Amino acid sequence: MLRPYICAACEKVIIDKDDVASLISVFSKITVTVPSEADIPKNAVAPKEWAVFSLWDTDLGDELKEYALCMQVLYPDQTQFSEVTKIKMKIEPNKRSQVVVRMLGFPIGQVGRYTINTWIEENQQRVFGPIEFKIGFEIVKQEQTHKTI
Amino acid sequence: MRYTCPVCMFPRLPYPPRDYHICPCCGTEFGNDDVDFSYKQLREMWVAGGGNWFFGRTPEYWNPWVQLLRANIVEDIPRFFIDLRVQFDAVSEAVEIRNLMGEPVVRPTA
Repeated sequence: MLRPYICAACEKVIIDKDDVASLISVFSKITVTVPSEADIPKNAVAPKEWAVFSLWDTDLGDELKEYALCMQVLYPDQTQFSEVTKIKMKIEPNKRSQVVVRMLGFPIGQVGRYTINTWIEENQQRVFGPIEFKIGFEIVKQEQTHKTI
Repeated sequence: MRYTCPVCMFPRLPYPPRDYHICPCCGTEFGNDDVDFSYKQLREMWVAGGGNWFFGRTPEYWNPWVQLLRANIVEDIPRFFIDLRVQFDAVSEAVEIRNLMGEPVVRPTA
């Protein structure tokens, strides 16, 4: 059975040749500055790369099972953003298993706390989770300065 | 066999993008709309119109900007913001253990 060791959001994950992971800018909040007159559509997405890194303890025999790591992003109103991501996990005996879910954009259509749910499925059945954490999102409006002659 | 629309990058076209087939996502009619406009121009028009789904029921969880991002087309996505920052709401403390043989880092007061 897989057990969580780490699960966190960050800007980037670097994995070296020895499979050692380094997390760049672990974050819990995103702030965007927009022009004061800006009206952000509900489906807007910021082209911002980020990642959810998770590391799992394994038991002997897990390498024989077909586990999938699933990840879901929920808007502050609990509606779902984009599809659930499913990644087949690579498991070897006596090793931890780490998964990087790279995201290409962050939804910015609602202000508040976004929920990131991560869980494990075996044969389409949830066998662990979800691990839930929140990412805060706020908008700062920048006043335009006008020069008068 | 599935095809990708060269305008909006919808990846599940049932037909190749030619012979007057119409993309259900952006509404481009291939062989007609793309005669006078390039794919990029058609994409810019679709984006300017809000990137809306064209025909039938919008697929669940579909997002036009995610679709473009997955196709690595970043420059055509509307930028609604001037700046984006990530932060971590936490207080930090770093403790250096100098003596691993048992000397406490913080000595108890008498």
